Amino acid sequence: MSNKRSAFRLGVYVFLALAVLTGLEFWVSASFNSAVVLLVIALVKAALIVQYFMHVARLWQEESEIHGEGHQ
Amino acid sequence: MSAAATHHDDRVHDEAHAHHFQPPYNVQLKSNRLGLWLFCFSEIFLFGALFAARFYLWGNTRPELSQVLGLITTSVLLVSSFFINRGEVAMEHGDRRTFLRSFMATAVLGAIFFVGVVVLEWNIFGLELNLFGVEWFGHLRPEDGVYAGIFFAMTGMHALHVLSGIIFILLVWNNGRKGHFSAERHWGVEACAIYWHYVDVVWVFFYPALYLIGAPVH
Repeated sequence: MSNKRSAFRLGVYVFLALAVLTGLEFWVSASFNSAVVLLVIALVKAALIVQYFMHVARLWQEESEIHGEGHQ
Repeated sequence: MSAAATHHDDRVHDEAHAHHFQPPYNVQLKSNRLGLWLFCFSEIFLFGALFAARFYLWGNTRPELSQVLGLITTSVLLVSSFFINRGEVAMEHGDRRTFLRSFMATAVLGAIFFVGVVVLEWNIFGLELNLFGVEWFGHLRPEDGVYAGIFFAMTGMHALHVLSGIIFILLVWNNGRKGHFSAERHWGVEACAIYWHYVDVVWVFFYPALYLIGAPVH
């Protein structure tokens, strides 16, 4: 049960990070509108989603490791 | 027994064996994951081309779009990503009830995003509404030159993926309702979540490209 809770908690943390970065994007655009900064923020957001929501690491992990990860 | 008859028997046996052979589930799962990621990779060429066209044709400018509407639709998609992750985690732990609720919430939020883009931003009904100082319906028309061309191509291609994602989610939800998934076997759930997150990743780049980067042109 606590494994499930910690997995849910990780989802919440990633979501909050994405929300903060989206707010930051909005602020950057309104204040000094730098295309480079906005694209860097977008890259960070994409990396968070690919790593934590899309589980890209599962591509090269064994099923036993994934099973452990999913239940941590 | 003749040589021809023996050869025939061997061939029938091989075909029957090939027909019944099923690789272990974990091997299938690895192939499925690789296949889905290759599909996602192939789609980068499509979305990447649109993204590059935006910077080539718009440069450091952009059409004047409702910032509030853009932020709201982006937030809706972000919340939907949270819910589909929650649903996937729930299924991994055998919590079917949370999985069903979360996937349904994702489908509803996806539909809200779709309506936000097509009905409000595209303004297909030609409406006008100014509420709380916000223009809730877009003014860009398809005939508005290069700005409209890129805008409708990018948002249209993305909206099409959102629509297919919603259908995918509803199919998986229905299968989950019938008890087709378990904590050990739920590739359909995982695939659906990966696809939906991919659609979100595309929007992560499209949102600043369309709404934030560059000086607005009236």
